[in-house]
Amino acid sequence: MATKGINRLTPYMFMAPAAIIMGIALLYPLGYMVYGSFRDWNPSQTIGESEFVGLKNYITLFYDPAFRESLSVTLTFAFAVVFAELLLGVGLALLLDRNIRGMSILRTLFILPMMIAPVVVGLMWRYMYHPTVGTFNRFLESIGLEGVDWLGQHALMSVIIADVWQWTPFIFILSLAALQSLPRSALEAARIDGATPWQQIIHIKLPLMMPVLIVTALLRLIDAFKVLEVILVMTEGGPGLSTEIVALRISRTATEFRELGTAAAMSNYLLILLLLLTLSMFAVTKLQEARAARLARQIQEED
Amino acid sequence: MLTTLKRAALGATTAIVMAGAALANPYADYAGTTLVVNFPAHPHYNAVMKILPEFTKETGIEVEVDQLPYLKMRERQTLELAQDEGDYDLIAYVVFSKADYVYADQLENLARYFMNPKLADPNYDADDLIDGYVYNIGFAGGNKGYLEGKTGSLFGVPYGSETSILGYRKDIFEKHGLEVPETYEEMLDIACKIPELEPGMGGLSSRAASGHHASHAFLLHLAPLGGRVFDDNWNPIVNNAAGVQAAEALKQIVDCGPEGATSFGFGEALGSFLAGDTAMFLDTTVVAGQINDPARSQVVGKVGWAMHPMGTRRGSQTGGFGIGIPKNAEHKEAAFLLMQWLTSKAGDKMVALAGGNPSRFSTHADADVNAKFPHMATFGEALKHADPDWRPIIPVWGKINADLGTTLSKVLTEDLDIQTALDGVAERTKAVMDEAGYYTWQ
Repeated sequence: MATKGINRLTPYMFMAPAAIIMGIALLYPLGYMVYGSFRDWNPSQTIGESEFVGLKNYITLFYDPAFRESLSVTLTFAFAVVFAELLLGVGLALLLDRNIRGMSILRTLFILPMMIAPVVVGLMWRYMYHPTVGTFNRFLESIGLEGVDWLGQHALMSVIIADVWQWTPFIFILSLAALQSLPRSALEAARIDGATPWQQIIHIKLPLMMPVLIVTALLRLIDAFKVLEVILVMTEGGPGLSTEIVALRISRTATEFRELGTAAAMSNYLLILLLLLTLSMFAVTKLQEARAARLARQIQEED
Repeated sequence: MLTTLKRAALGATTAIVMAGAALANPYADYAGTTLVVNFPAHPHYNAVMKILPEFTKETGIEVEVDQLPYLKMRERQTLELAQDEGDYDLIAYVVFSKADYVYADQLENLARYFMNPKLADPNYDADDLIDGYVYNIGFAGGNKGYLEGKTGSLFGVPYGSETSILGYRKDIFEKHGLEVPETYEEMLDIACKIPELEPGMGGLSSRAASGHHASHAFLLHLAPLGGRVFDDNWNPIVNNAAGVQAAEALKQIVDCGPEGATSFGFGEALGSFLAGDTAMFLDTTVVAGQINDPARSQVVGKVGWAMHPMGTRRGSQTGGFGIGIPKNAEHKEAAFLLMQWLTSKAGDKMVALAGGNPSRFSTHADADVNAKFPHMATFGEALKHADPDWRPIIPVWGKINADLGTTLSKVLTEDLDIQTALDGVAERTKAVMDEAGYYTWQ
């Protein structure tokens, strides 16, 4: 009897170390943040000395126009960059999915931007956008056009361009991998049936790539919500609040305003937002899978 | 026999007393101690690093320095000071940290050190320390809680402090027969004339980027133009006539400034002056060293200095760093000795000659220092008008400062109406102050 009990426990015992480490490493900091978000906590105090204020931080934030503005900047930024990156990344992958000589070198070149430290990317773009000595305005002036006030009047767009430059390769490389692992039989069948290249892309390649694309987009979206360094270096959130994304506001709230509780509450709002996004993405994939399974069953029944 | 004995005893006592006198070294008890200090990476503290070996040689006290970028330094200190036993014996703090540290009871009151005859040097001459700096950086608990006053006391000594000064291009001014501006009106007038006289050149380099930079630039004009952020009852008055005038001055300066000025932080503003893209620079004295460094500057020898122009009154900024002893320090007395040595007349002169910012009137007037840095006399004159109340140093200032800075950035880039913008700041500031309890007694 005892042996049976031990036997039944064995798998759990094997899992225990991983579960414990996960609990400590993941849940403890998370719990600390949630706990902190209910307190009026400034960095000169230990968390124990701070005062419990219930949901006050959440409610204040909800009505805080600056936080709302930075939330809307974040949403605009995140969706704009992910949309542009998907378009360009998948497009590039479709173009380059063939046997070209020196492809591996080309691929390495393409993913270089991704490997550069974000602070360097920020600095680089900041100098390129410089109103007088920057590359862009010099070029525009050399062809007789007027310079653009990149980081002034068009700050959000300029920041989006820099992010697209850095992260399109990520989508490109994953899309390329997905493309190259597509079942050749489906494509051959389409070709034999006389499908044009466009039809192949729209009806075969893209639908088959979809699961990978969804996960990729989700990863990028999560990342885009948290981007900090590039924007910090390029604009510091300005002018006004026009590029102050939530991650930057959180960092300023903690260090400049010295309100750790509010910063924690803000992080939780961001966490909830990301969680909702992730769940909805999962729901979409599940629905698609269910639809595919239903179709497969129908086809089988028809046979 | 008795006399002989007496004489011998007397002789022995004299010998002991004399030996004692010869050994009288206030540092003796602390020789061999190692102090751990936290300084920012900043031109003044780079100069301090050069003179620290002299301190060790003179006193036998070793000093280990943890030098950090100044924002990082503040973060580190916040964590260190909250612990029971800290790593630092002496810290340099940014002026606006004073409110936080003193309020959280994390800095030593310096009274008990200056009272201690074994520690306090009678020749220290505290009256020679620059008043505006002492009250702005070292004092707490006086008027308004952060200024001089009967209830205040000293928690730190200014060290690496700065005031504002007007730098101008002597060659450009001479070429066009321009007079060095004495008043705000003259300065603004010249600032907008320059782009016409010298196409491609901006009038005056100013910070203007969203946040702290724009706020700093605005406050720089607010004090001399007669304004304040709060009245005596903590009501925000930043939106009164003087406030509007200061914001208009900032806008005019930026509009007549170099291209892209709206996104300038301190680095860019200084950079454009060093590159010769602007004719004037109105900001901290800390830049003097860089302007004459040929590796960084294209305007070496072409820059003259003048006092911060006058509006309705004189009022240059006060800022920079002070040094204080954390409550949780391990070697407080030795730390005091270091603090006293660094800020003494001799120490202040030594650091000035090494390229630092002196904190004493006497150092600014010193012949050796002036021979090496001829601008020092003008700086000393400007310091007499250093205004310790040009910006409030209260715990909630960080939040108000950020709001002021982002709103002004909207004025500069999105053409938001100045009065509307400042009214908004005043209203939000009022709410912040109310929540922080500043109206409890009204």
